[in-house]
Amino acid sequence: MSPGLILLENFLQALAAGLMVGCLYGLMCTGLGMIFGVMRVINFAQGDLMMLGMYAAWYLFTGFGLLAVLGPYAGPIVGAIMAGPILFVAGWFIHRFLVSRVTGVKVASTEGAGHYAQLILTLGVALILQNGGLILFGSEPRSVRTPLSSSAWEIGPLIDNDFVSVFLNQGRAVGAVVSIAVTVALFLFVSRSRLGKALRAAADNPEAAVYMGIDVDRAHRVAFAVGTGVTAIAGGLVAIYYPFQPYVGLEFVIVMYAGVVLGGLGSITGAFWGGMLIGLVQQLSTLILPVQLQNTAIFVVFLGVIFLRPQGLFGRNVERV
Amino acid sequence: MLEIRDLEAGYGGVMALAGVTLSVAAGEFVSVVGPNGAGKTTLFKTVSGTVAARAGSIRFEGQDLLAVPAHQRPHLGIAHVPEGRQVFPSLSVEENLQMGAFTEAGRRDWAANIEYIYRLFPILLERRRQLAGTLSGGQQQMVAIARGLASSPKLLLLDEPSMGLAPTVADQIFDAVVEIRRARNLTVVLVEQRAVEALESCDRGYVLETGRVVLSGGQNELLSDDRIRKAYLGM
Repeated sequence: MSPGLILLENFLQALAAGLMVGCLYGLMCTGLGMIFGVMRVINFAQGDLMMLGMYAAWYLFTGFGLLAVLGPYAGPIVGAIMAGPILFVAGWFIHRFLVSRVTGVKVASTEGAGHYAQLILTLGVALILQNGGLILFGSEPRSVRTPLSSSAWEIGPLIDNDFVSVFLNQGRAVGAVVSIAVTVALFLFVSRSRLGKALRAAADNPEAAVYMGIDVDRAHRVAFAVGTGVTAIAGGLVAIYYPFQPYVGLEFVIVMYAGVVLGGLGSITGAFWGGMLIGLVQQLSTLILPVQLQNTAIFVVFLGVIFLRPQGLFGRNVERV
Repeated sequence: MLEIRDLEAGYGGVMALAGVTLSVAAGEFVSVVGPNGAGKTTLFKTVSGTVAARAGSIRFEGQDLLAVPAHQRPHLGIAHVPEGRQVFPSLSVEENLQMGAFTEAGRRDWAANIEYIYRLFPILLERRRQLAGTLSGGQQQMVAIARGLASSPKLLLLDEPSMGLAPTVADQIFDAVVEIRRARNLTVVLVEQRAVEALESCDRGYVLETGRVVLSGGQNELLSDDRIRKAYLGM
């Protein structure tokens, strides 16, 4: 094979990996974007809620018989999807008993709009989840054992008979497909359904939403729970190819925020594309940079985009009045 | 229909309403006029529940309104068109109207209401897919009023619909309000700084100053009152 073809093959391989990882990051970011977009709350615990999603998927797979019933292929995927409703419930309660005390219409008119209390609260929840996770789950890294993560589909050879093949890790590929499906479902929910529109109205102007008869606190609870559930699904999908421990949330929460800000705050589709861009940059940067620098590459691109488009790639200038 | 008694409300240490008593009968058009800071907007917000009452009572069709959470009051038939329009900027015009129809009555009457609204404000039909945040001020005011109508209210609270609009646009909005009231036989309470127009189109009026009702009466009574003529009508 000529050096040119090797270069092409490496590029296509990194591109494919970037697209797949990007879909997963995109899904994570959509979950966070949902919470941030509707509530304007900085949720530091998002990464740790995702960690809970990973463990939920893992326990469902190993402990609750999904492996035995559905086998090693469908099992992990169903486990990841089921982590969604479980963390939806968790998110509902976290909002009901903790987050709602420092957010919502009542707080919006107070000095600083309650942001200090929100930051400390979600940071506290994050620390409790990390350390609680350590006590409950132990520090030993887990992974969802499935043949998916160690096998690949080959696309190609693309040129002649034996040149330039792209290998798709099956775990990532299936995860990417599920991510797209969940993102599309979420997008339809927010843009078409009555409840979804009410969430957007509550995000746009909480006071006016009250005048429409919308229960803004409840809208926030739905957004928080849905956002948590969606990120948990992403976590469960990542767990298929990525070993995790209770502190794994830290690695992802930064990526999620970068993605949400890149996409333009408050836009669900923007958050997805922001996550996608991060996945692509992360994987493509390995072509020219050492692997250890992939997160640096992300933030160089991040700063570049923010410098040129402070409102994010999909941020609207109409924004809130 | 609306009975307000000795209502007190405020923000922190500031008293915005210092014992307001006011009543509106079904089908009436009542104007509340007064200078900036008189408490007019606070009065509406207390009725809607976004500002808490400190004392006094509000009854709507005999029901104690202060016992009803703010977000349930629209479902009783109160539509509040807030000061400064407050449309949902990132929702389309039609989605804004759908949010107006969040109440059960609004959903039931959606087809008839939307037809009426688009006949009243044809420009909104033309722009129904446009984001409300990109409309002009007058058009946003139309959306705000239409959004209120879409809830099929019994009582329409209009807070300074002419604020920040060019005089001709403000006149259009006023005409629309009068037309709505006539066609739908709604009970309307209008808060306005343009006292002449407000008093000329209403049945009765109240004059609010520093959180108190200083004068009230029928349209003619108020328009011929010397204090009103001096202070608000510039005569």
